[in-house]
Amino acid sequence: MKHLSLIAFVAVILMQAFLSGTAHAKDVFFDSHWTLWQNADILIWTPDKEPAIDPKEFCLSLRRNNSGIGEPKCRLFGEWERDTVAMRYATWLSNNIEPGLNAHLLKARHPAMMAKLQALEDKIVLFIADKGDKLQIAIFDETTLEPRSAGTVQKKNDKIALGDDIASAFFGRNTKRRLTKEERLKMETEPDDLYKETPTFRSWAGISAGYAQAHIPLTPYNWYKRKIRSRVSNYRATRDSVSLWNFMDDSTPLFTLYAGGIWFGFIGGEIFYRYSNHDVKIDERDEVYEELDHWNFTQHEIGLNVMFARTYDPFKWLDLHLFAFLGFQYSFYSEDIDVKDSKKKPSREYQTRFRTEDPYKGALFGFGTQCVFLQHYGLSVRTGISSRGKDVYVEPSPDAAAEPTTIGATTVDWFVSVGLEYHWTPFK
Amino acid sequence: MARLWGTLFVMAALLFTGCADSYQWSAKHPAYKQAPYGELTIAGLQKAFVITRTKWFANRLDFGDSTQIKATEFCAKAMEHEFRGGYSKLNVLPDSLLANFPEESQKLDDRIFMKGKLPEQGVIVNAPDGTIPPQILLIHEVIIGTDLKRENFFDYALIHNELEDKRDVKNISAIVSYTLWDNIKQRPLFSAVDEIQHPVIKLTLNDLEQLMRLTVQQIRKNMYTGAGK
Repeated sequence: MKHLSLIAFVAVILMQAFLSGTAHAKDVFFDSHWTLWQNADILIWTPDKEPAIDPKEFCLSLRRNNSGIGEPKCRLFGEWERDTVAMRYATWLSNNIEPGLNAHLLKARHPAMMAKLQALEDKIVLFIADKGDKLQIAIFDETTLEPRSAGTVQKKNDKIALGDDIASAFFGRNTKRRLTKEERLKMETEPDDLYKETPTFRSWAGISAGYAQAHIPLTPYNWYKRKIRSRVSNYRATRDSVSLWNFMDDSTPLFTLYAGGIWFGFIGGEIFYRYSNHDVKIDERDEVYEELDHWNFTQHEIGLNVMFARTYDPFKWLDLHLFAFLGFQYSFYSEDIDVKDSKKKPSREYQTRFRTEDPYKGALFGFGTQCVFLQHYGLSVRTGISSRGKDVYVEPSPDAAAEPTTIGATTVDWFVSVGLEYHWTPFK
Repeated sequence: MARLWGTLFVMAALLFTGCADSYQWSAKHPAYKQAPYGELTIAGLQKAFVITRTKWFANRLDFGDSTQIKATEFCAKAMEHEFRGGYSKLNVLPDSLLANFPEESQKLDDRIFMKGKLPEQGVIVNAPDGTIPPQILLIHEVIIGTDLKRENFFDYALIHNELEDKRDVKNISAIVSYTLWDNIKQRPLFSAVDEIQHPVIKLTLNDLEQLMRLTVQQIRKNMYTGAGK
C-alpha cells in the first residue's frame, strides 16, 4: 500500500512536470478578441533573414487546426520587409516583446508605421521573430496600432510542427465571414440601429393593475401582526387606531390610471389616479353586526410623482427605461354601508361608527421599469411604498368623547403593479 | 434658506476643488527598476528653455536687450552644472541628435499629455564619440516664470485659459518635462512633469541658479522614487 501511494505521488509529480513543460512550449502574453476572417489573408512578417515557418505549410496547419477557417492564403510580407520604418519597428518589437507587458506598451509610434497598419484592410499580419530557443509571435490587424495578441512558441526544427504550434496557440478562435465590397459599402452608409437620439420629451398614458398590502416584503411580519389581525368591534373599537389597516382589509387589488412625461429621458413627472376597495374587518363574534348587510370603503387616490430615469437600448425594437419615483398623494375614502332590509332602524352603535378623514395626505416612492416595444407599446412594472396620514394634533372639541376619533394617523402599504402603456413623442 | 444654499454651495465648491487637484504627474514603464546612478547622459539642454514674462525678468536682471536668450543660456548652464555635481560622469548630447525625430505626446493622466521628441522605435542614438549610452535623460521643456502652475500648461482642458500676470510675485517657478529614455530598447522608462517654486524678494542671478538647483534635485528625486514604486 505504501509503495502504491509512493508511485501515485511520483506519477503526479511527473504529470505536473509534463504539463508545465507543454504550457511553456506556447506562451500567450495577451490576446484581445481580434477577428479571424474566413479565407483569411495572412501576411508573414519577420525581421530575420529566413522566416521560421513555411507559408504554404502554415496554411495547411491552419486548416488542420481550425476547420472553420476555409481556405486561408499565406505569404511573406515582402512590402514591409523592404521598408525601413517597418523593419525598424520589427526589430524594436523583437527587442521589446516580453511577458508582463500590455499591448499598449508595444504600440507603433512612427506616423508612417501607423499609416501602414491602418491600411491593412482585413489582412492579418503574423509577426515572427527568432529569439534563440523561442520564436516571438505577434498579430496585427487594421483596427489598432498595437499588437492584438503576442506570445512565444518553442523553436523546433520541424517547420510543420512549428506551424501547428502557432496555429493552435493563436488561430484557434471562431471565424467570421468577410464582407464583400458591396456589403461593406452598404454597412458604411446605413444608419446604426443602436444609435438613436433621446427625444427631448416623451410622454405616456397607461392603465395598470396590481396588488397592495400592509406587509412590506423582506421586513418581519411581527411589525404588522397587530394591525393585520386587528378586528373592529362595536362599529368603532380596536386596540389602536393609528393605521387604517386596523380597521380595513389591507391586501387588495389595485387599479391605476396614469399619464406622464419625461425630459431628455432623465427627469420626468407623472400624474395618477388609483382605485382600490377595502372591506372593514368586523369582529364576527360581535352580535351588534347582525343587522349589517355590507360595509366597505372605496379608496380613491390622486397624486403626482417626480421621476428619474435611465434608458438602455438593448435591441432596435426595445427601449428599456429604469426609473425611480417620489411623489405625494391625497387619499379619499367613500364608505359603502347598509343594514339588512329586514332591519328598520339601525342601532345606536351604527350611528356612532368610526369615520375616515377626508382627505389623507401621503407620500409614495419606489422604482420600476418601462419596456417600450417599437417605440410606442409599453409594458411597465413598478413597486413601491405609499403612505397616508393626517394631522395628529387637532383642536379638541366638546364632542371628542362621544365622537369616534378619526382614524389612520399613519397608514403605510407596499404595492406592486403591472401596466400597459402607450408612449409617444409630441414634439421632437 | 439662505444658510442652506450657502452650505450647499460650499459643499459643491469643495467637491469640485477636491476633484481638480488629483493629477498624476509621472508615468513609468514596468521595466523601469533602477534610476541612473553615477553616470548620466542628458539631451535637450540647449533648446528646452523658455522664459515667460521676459519683461519682468529683464527689468530685474542685467542682461541688456536679449534677456530671453541670455537668461535661458544662463539657466541651461546652471542646470548642466548642477547635473555635473550629481553624477560623476555626465555626458551631454547635442540637441541636433534629436532634431529629426518625430514629436510625440505621452499620456500621464486623463487630461495630462506631455509633448517631446523621442528617438524612433528601432533606432539607437549614438553619442558623438561613438559610444552608445544605455539611458538618456531627455529634457523636453523647461518653462521659467513667476508663480506658474503646471496644470495650466499641461492639462488640455486648461491650456487655453488666459492667466493674468500678478503684480506681486511670490515665487519664481520652473516647470520641467522630461523622459528617461531606454536607448537600447527604445522605450520611455520614466516620464514626468515637475513644478518647482522658489520664493524671491529681490530677484538676482543667484535665485535663478537656486531654482535650477532645486529643479535638478527634484528630477533626481523623482527618478529615484519612480524606480522604487
